[in-house]
Amino acid sequence: MPGSKKPDKEAAAKKKFSRRDFIATGGAVVAVDALISTTTADAAPASAAPAPTRYPASKGYLVYDSKKCAGCTTCMLACSLVHYGEQNLSLSRIQIMQDSFGKFPDDVVMAPCRQCLTPPCVINCPVGAAFIDEENGNIRRIDAEKCIGCKTCLAMCPQQPHRTVWNHKINKSTKCDLCLDTPYWNEKGGVNGKQACVESCPMKAIKFVTTPPDQKETEGYDVNLRNDYWYNLGLVENSTHIPPAMASSQRKPGAFKPKPKAKE
Amino acid sequence: MKGGYTGKILRVNLTDKSISSIPTEKYEEFGGGHGIGSAVFFDLVGDQLPFDAFDPRNLIIMMNSPFSGTFMPGSGRCEVQGLAPGLYPIEWFGHSNFGGRFTAQLKFAGWDGIVVEGKADKPVWINIIDDKVTIEDANGVWGMDTWDTQQEVARRVVPELKHGEWADLSNSCYTTQVPAVVCCGPAGENLSRIACLLHGAGSQAALGGYGALFGSKNLKAISAIGSGSVPIADPKAFMDARLWFRQFQWDVDNPREPEKFAQRGYSLINGAPSGGNVSNGSLPLVPARAAACASCPRGCRMRLASGDSNESVCAGSMFARIGSSGFMGMGGGGGDASKMPAILNGKLTRQANDLMHKFGLGHWQLMATSGYISYLHRQGIIGKGKEYECDLPFDQSSTFAYHEALYRLLSAREGKFGDLAAEAAARMAEKLGRYDEDVNSGALRLSYWGTQEHYSSQVEVEWGFGSLLGERDLMLHMMANYPLHWMAMSGNPYLTAEEASKLYAEAMVPYQDDRYLVDYGEGPTGVYSDSKVKQVAWVKHYEKFWIGAGGFCGWRWPMCITNNTADRRGATPQAEPKFWNAVTGDNKTFGDYMELGHKIYTLDRSIWVLQGRHRDMEVFPDYVYDNPSRGGSEMPMFIDGKWVYDAGQGRALDREKTEEFKSKFYAFEGYNPENGYPKRDTLEKMNLKKVADQLEKQGKLG
Repeated sequence: MPGSKKPDKEAAAKKKFSRRDFIATGGAVVAVDALISTTTADAAPASAAPAPTRYPASKGYLVYDSKKCAGCTTCMLACSLVHYGEQNLSLSRIQIMQDSFGKFPDDVVMAPCRQCLTPPCVINCPVGAAFIDEENGNIRRIDAEKCIGCKTCLAMCPQQPHRTVWNHKINKSTKCDLCLDTPYWNEKGGVNGKQACVESCPMKAIKFVTTPPDQKETEGYDVNLRNDYWYNLGLVENSTHIPPAMASSQRKPGAFKPKPKAKE
Repeated sequence: MKGGYTGKILRVNLTDKSISSIPTEKYEEFGGGHGIGSAVFFDLVGDQLPFDAFDPRNLIIMMNSPFSGTFMPGSGRCEVQGLAPGLYPIEWFGHSNFGGRFTAQLKFAGWDGIVVEGKADKPVWINIIDDKVTIEDANGVWGMDTWDTQQEVARRVVPELKHGEWADLSNSCYTTQVPAVVCCGPAGENLSRIACLLHGAGSQAALGGYGALFGSKNLKAISAIGSGSVPIADPKAFMDARLWFRQFQWDVDNPREPEKFAQRGYSLINGAPSGGNVSNGSLPLVPARAAACASCPRGCRMRLASGDSNESVCAGSMFARIGSSGFMGMGGGGGDASKMPAILNGKLTRQANDLMHKFGLGHWQLMATSGYISYLHRQGIIGKGKEYECDLPFDQSSTFAYHEALYRLLSAREGKFGDLAAEAAARMAEKLGRYDEDVNSGALRLSYWGTQEHYSSQVEVEWGFGSLLGERDLMLHMMANYPLHWMAMSGNPYLTAEEASKLYAEAMVPYQDDRYLVDYGEGPTGVYSDSKVKQVAWVKHYEKFWIGAGGFCGWRWPMCITNNTADRRGATPQAEPKFWNAVTGDNKTFGDYMELGHKIYTLDRSIWVLQGRHRDMEVFPDYVYDNPSRGGSEMPMFIDGKWVYDAGQGRALDREKTEEFKSKFYAFEGYNPENGYPKRDTLEKMNLKKVADQLEKQGKLG
């Protein structure tokens, strides 16, 4: 990847293992374990909390509001378009899932990459294809040229669904790069630029932020991006919630409390 | 192959179980969607017309547009075509369409459309996983309601399917999406002419009775899921166009003049999310999200915390108003709830409408049929002890129990009366020997081809003429109905009638030099004028190309004006060719594409002529000419030299002037005014010589 620094051990790992060698070792999970123990011989084990200096935090994150998402999949199609020049939900690095027969809010799952502070995809990639791009805001990326297609990063991503994305056209893993490498878009991306999903979402349900979200559960990423204009559409969070536009004629004392403005 | 297409149309013969494909390239000149569908229909069975809708030779055609599977705003609809069991007096070659995700998944699976021929010897469903297509046994699915069918079929397609997880479709082709299934319900299985197709929880192809067409072929469902790509000719231009379009959208975080445009009257036209579901507008509100069809920036539907009325809009969310004799409740578009008649029981209303979807009954024809059943009961023609025994609990007509009994009756063709009523209102009236009396008097307001009057044909004439000169209710709200009628009805229009007429004229290329296109008055530039001829032609051409061939939603397009821009200009006519050319690689103008719409309309009209259409059939029932309008439509009118909004109260259409209007329209379109048949030179200029030859063979060339 032009202009990117990678640790030497990653280059070494590439020399040691080709895709063919790796696949030949047997089942994916066994192979992954074996490789972690091999390639981390001179580093901390994956399970140990790494020193912050080893995994510099990304300077950008995508947060989202899964209660605001309308499931139109525009973000997914924008993602595949700017990266590949074609529209394909399976290649999108942000995934939106929905159940027509489900109940709000569980009917929609939004799944963008979290740019994890401790990125399992980077830690566990046996060939150093998944890396931290220190020259571009520490974005967690995958170098397709180096990827051997072992699917380790898919297996090791702790999120459901996994945020690393299999590109079946080239048999490589890919992931969100915050639109740093978007040959089919006239805009500049990355941490100092724009992101196709953020720009195209008609509900403004995806937002770029620079502060690392809480890593523990989904709450740090799945935030409230709605304001009173949203609630005035009649789209409330609970049945005691009266939209301000309806409150003037319907309100009883104390029945309506303004919701806080959207937070980052 | 051009951008936007996959290059092949799936062809499934249910009689001999053969599966093959048709190269899309052969039909590229028709654009996509409806255009290709009409051309395929003509090529495969045009020389055998006329025959009945339930004849195995009839086709089910479900076409994609080049936009299907892309993020072209509001382009996710699936056009269904074939001889329509629900249209009258002839089962015209009709169309209906539905939203959701079906076209997108069909495109991702690698197909530009589906053509189903023949009839299976036992119930089946069609399974499309990328390029692998199989005809599956519907044992265990046949008899299910539409919701259970979709979920059971999805389980059979991807057995390990889990919401929120990746699934391997084949050879490491992964997706997180669930299969998109479209199916008929019990109503379709039993050949009820009111039967719809349903996709998702509430997306109906409601008009035409296409559920019964599925049923007649022993076809329960079609499932599509894919992991492929939609090729885009100019990706950068397409992305730029999509971001450019944001200016026309309702800004959800900071809308323009919300104090005006979020109010009643605007909820249907402002483009704000969720406004289509009118069953969740009274306090206490059920928590909900706006739920969009694939690619739509509006999201007019909802999914609720209660899981009822999911993805239903308008008639699909308020047909059954349980506990209320009033009109619909407030929509989700915001506004003052105190001014709206409340639905007394929102929960049962939503669930009764869901039951309609589950039975697979099309809301629009159900409305006419159920209203007529009530009328017949009031007239003492049906009921207990009558020739047509009917034990519906008419005294409880606003209860859930009544609706359940009604749906069961119509879906199962229960008893002599159920069998009659499942024929839908027009044929029911005919079999009772009451059609002429009840339709001409306006007791049964079937204004055009067995479909019920939607808006006043006397005032909102482009809707009436557009339907009459078509084959069903026009159902094109965004032409003039929502933007003009509802803007004026809000009591606080954002454009004067003169301003609106100017902006409309500018948008309606190639007739942009005519300032009177939207004059709904009765003066020399009004409803019988040359200007109206152009407007109706524009409507039909837009309907056939952009809505039909482009898969556009009639709730979003055309957009001649909008409240979301500072100058109130809409996206039409800039947006359409900007997107189309970026996706396909074509380099044509809006006017070029409208001429293609003219071509598709002419082909459709030729098929209707082969089925028996003549200008003498294109007349409204007597009440449209004899009974004064009840008002309710506020439209721009040029009266005494001034533009005003007026309801046209008391107006009836003039028979003679209507016939003169038709003559002018036929001549304008290149058809013979004597009979309405397309002329040879018109057809040949459109590269439709073989159509002219077929018409000539039947002695029906104009």
